[in-house]
Amino acid sequence: MGLKRILSQAKKELAQFSRDRLTVALALVLPLGMLLIYGYAIRLETKNIPLSIQDFDNSPLSRSYVERLFATNQFIPTPLAGTSPLSSLDQGTAKATIVIPPTFAEDVAAGNGKVQALIDGTDVNNARVIQNSVRAVTNFFSQTLPNVQPPEGIRARVRIWFNPGREEALYIVPGIFGVVFWVFPSMLAAIAVVREKEQGTAIQVYASDLSATEWLLGKGLAYWLVAIAEALVVMGVSFLLFHLRLQTNPIPLLVGTAIYLAAAVSFGLFIGARGGNQNAAVQGTAILGFLTSFLLSGFIYRLENIPFPLSLISNIIPARYYILLTRDAFVRGSGWRSIWYVPIVVGIMGLILFRAATKSMKKMQLSE
Amino acid sequence: MIKNNLLQRFFDGRFWALVLKEIQQILKSRQSVFLLIFPPTIQLLVFGLALSPNVDHLSLGLVDYANSAQSREFVSALIENDIFQITAAPTNETQLQQKVRNGQLTAGLIIPPNFDRDLNQGSSAEVQVFIDGVDANTAGIANGYLNQIVNHYNQQKNAVFNTLPIESQSRFLYNPGLTSSWFFVPGVIGVVLTLTGSLISSITVIREKDVGTLEQLLMTPASSGEILLAKIVPLFILLMGDVLIASAMGRFIFHLPFRGNFLIFYLLSGLYVFVSIGLGILLATLSRTQQQVVLTSFFFNAPIIQLSGAIAPIESMPKFFQILSWFDPLRHYVAIARSLVLKGVALEALFPNIIALCLCAAFLLTVSIRRFRSQLN
Repeated sequence: MGLKRILSQAKKELAQFSRDRLTVALALVLPLGMLLIYGYAIRLETKNIPLSIQDFDNSPLSRSYVERLFATNQFIPTPLAGTSPLSSLDQGTAKATIVIPPTFAEDVAAGNGKVQALIDGTDVNNARVIQNSVRAVTNFFSQTLPNVQPPEGIRARVRIWFNPGREEALYIVPGIFGVVFWVFPSMLAAIAVVREKEQGTAIQVYASDLSATEWLLGKGLAYWLVAIAEALVVMGVSFLLFHLRLQTNPIPLLVGTAIYLAAAVSFGLFIGARGGNQNAAVQGTAILGFLTSFLLSGFIYRLENIPFPLSLISNIIPARYYILLTRDAFVRGSGWRSIWYVPIVVGIMGLILFRAATKSMKKMQLSE
Repeated sequence: MIKNNLLQRFFDGRFWALVLKEIQQILKSRQSVFLLIFPPTIQLLVFGLALSPNVDHLSLGLVDYANSAQSREFVSALIENDIFQITAAPTNETQLQQKVRNGQLTAGLIIPPNFDRDLNQGSSAEVQVFIDGVDANTAGIANGYLNQIVNHYNQQKNAVFNTLPIESQSRFLYNPGLTSSWFFVPGVIGVVLTLTGSLISSITVIREKDVGTLEQLLMTPASSGEILLAKIVPLFILLMGDVLIASAMGRFIFHLPFRGNFLIFYLLSGLYVFVSIGLGILLATLSRTQQQVVLTSFFFNAPIIQLSGAIAPIESMPKFFQILSWFDPLRHYVAIARSLVLKGVALEALFPNIIALCLCAAFLLTVSIRRFRSQLN
């Protein structure tokens, strides 16, 4: 295997790449655009939940209860859209309606007051959050009433580690790296291989003394460098915008990212080598790569929630492992100890993909 | 007027010959048929199954220094409804902390040695809990559950003396069982229509550009409007088939209730199909090759999907993105689909969304047709 030939192949590829202005622009703008959109637009927990009140009692007590509900800043008062307590929910202007019965003040004095929370269950995650906070506020309000002793018994002192303010960006942004660093490097590499196949220039490779492996290595090297540039830009911007900070020594992140990008490029080479035409190849990486790294990697919701047949597939998704590594680097900070296996697993997957790519290139050589 | 001309020609033979040719071309190309059936099915299945915000079976590590009947009773109350699950019982605090630190446990609970004494003296006994906050959403919900369980336990223990005077009762409407696929699947139908519709329509247009058959078409007596319309009609028919497939999957695999009128749902989905076709043709006029089309469609589709509320709620986005989402046609379709599938609201409640979709369809189709035509001439 000639190192020189590989390098000159990579050089040629980079020169070709830089001549295609639109692709260069897209290679840098697309990952950044995705970072911005996911980084800002994915928030699972709603903060300002529109809440309607139907207060049939309208007593000083019920009014101070309502005041307490909105004092948490988690809810925003929204007028009822009609006469029915459901009207705001039907129209979607409120996510919940609190119904306070006419006998509220009397009932509370008698020790058995009730309020009803009608919660829009469409968004399952938020419905739960709303239920929990209405309950917490109600309990808290109850305890501040005169004649009520704070409940004795067990008190839990809860501490939330690593991300005490529960900032969702700290969870989402390291996950975005897993998606973006997979999708774009593989897409570019796939296009590069398939283009040559379609234009027929790939056949020249067989006429020259360049082997299929060298050819793919050269291309892979070129797009790996492009991918590293993309990664630097995306990480740099997210340091500035999302206040990510490294929590541990940077070596696992650097090594892991380099290997992950190489695996992504290998995936692209593989799809490119297999795809019959560029359309299929590009769509293959775009849809297959995107869907798996987006949905089966634990990017949005917990991995444990993925049901059985899909959970098997999720085991062979490199993004799943890489996201553990980025979350460790930026949030948890326990270093090699908890993620030592990630570069190994991802590296092996990359090698398998690369091997598969060379195999199908060689097969093509025989048949043509 | 071109419009009148189009209408007249809509009924003459040449136009239908073109439509027939397009349908044949789509069906002949195995790839297009594959694209119409396979990705939507897979996307719907994977999105519907993989996205689940449930927070349960959280792994809990326990160090019980008291190790008494009372502490064990408290622990069993804690794990009773499967939200927490004890997966480790290390011997000391340091080990427990280490496991939470490494991510092996989601939460750690420490019961102090003087737990019994504190409880029996009538004061409160304090237990320590750490929660892994790497996943902010899970940590928040876990914290909420934990407080709820502890409160409930305390109230039960001294029921007679200390019940709180106000109780909140919650009722979940539209999705009483909080089935997460009910939330995702109607939105994902919209996502699938966006991806499939824009991709296929852009490819059918760009392919002729690429191969050069567009020039040939131009030499036929058909006008550019007719050519385009002949491309749109068959795609529309086939994509409406996709809507049926997706609805059937929603109904039979995910057991969506479809509380609204199905015909209205189907017609409004048709309106959205026009939007996605318009988007696809616009993308095709913006690019020269198939690669560029796929890249640019990625560029447009990612924000369209993300800002639509199909995956993450719009209310929690920053104000700027919330405003931006009003211009997102998918947002309106998702709102319509969820309302009709889950809420069964009347048509009137959907008017703002329907008008927005009509405007979007009209805008996209006019701009893309105009661009297409000017590129031809």
